[in-house]
Amino acid sequence: MTAFVTLAGVYNTPTFGGVRSRDQELMTSRALEQFLSSVEKRAFKIAQLGLRNDDDALDAVQDAMMKLVQSYASRRSEEWRPLFYRILANRILDMQRRRTVRGRIMAWLPARDSEDDEDFDPVAQAPSAEPTPARRLELDEAIGALEAAIAALPPRQQQAFLLRNFEGLDVSETAGAMGCSEGSVKTHYFRALETLRARLGDVI
Amino acid sequence: MSQDLEDRTRGLLDESTARLDGRTQSRLTQARHAALASLEQPVRRRWSLFVPAGAAAAAAVLAVVMWSGPQPGAEPNPVDDMEMLVDSDAPVFAEGDDLEFYEWAADEIES
Repeated sequence: MTAFVTLAGVYNTPTFGGVRSRDQELMTSRALEQFLSSVEKRAFKIAQLGLRNDDDALDAVQDAMMKLVQSYASRRSEEWRPLFYRILANRILDMQRRRTVRGRIMAWLPARDSEDDEDFDPVAQAPSAEPTPARRLELDEAIGALEAAIAALPPRQQQAFLLRNFEGLDVSETAGAMGCSEGSVKTHYFRALETLRARLGDVI
Repeated sequence: MSQDLEDRTRGLLDESTARLDGRTQSRLTQARHAALASLEQPVRRRWSLFVPAGAAAAAAVLAVVMWSGPQPGAEPNPVDDMEMLVDSDAPVFAEGDDLEFYEWAADEIES
């Protein structure tokens, strides 16, 4: 993180006449790579919980990366994180809405075999033969229960919870990423926490 | 109590993220590289695409104007004559007996 800030600091020096040298472009590229690699796994997990589909989650993360690089690379590096998560949050909401509309349309059509069934690979889906220690099993159950509970939260509560608790954005950054007031963030976060406590109880 | 829940959920999500499979991590790396590659090929602003076309159109209009403009030694513009006739300050050539005088004056000049 320190190296990222250092590189970004150099990049953010003013440019003469708006023209960047090759060295500055290289600095930008390195700083962006460090930034993206520092957030990509968490971003994927957030998208995965919101979309409940790995491929869709990867698409959402790639779109957010692309948009940040193409549109906001010249912004100050301190702005990248809230901007990135704002793009990602919007992308996830778009995909959730599109999926809801598609679901309503599909409900009117006659049922047919899912494409997923055609691609079903029993070997790939089979549990690993490797023996699982009791502790690992316990952890798996806790993670599974938590992720299911988070995935069931209303979208805005889910975003507020993941950005504040998991990604560690402060209230102001979360409000920026969600495009709402700080008061709304606090409300969504509090409700998410209450719901998780009620659903998970002693599971985690 | 609330802090316990927050810490515990954060810990579990961190653990879950650390367990991402190799295929997912590889695809994330590919996505990152694809995004960074787009930095080296910046998207041109849409309006900038029209700059060369606009310049070519302006040059074509200029060429047409130059081509069809007045040539040296060309006949005077008939519009100028019309302006002289309708101008209230212009001399009146065809009124009363003065017409005969102007015809005589013209003959004298030619002879």
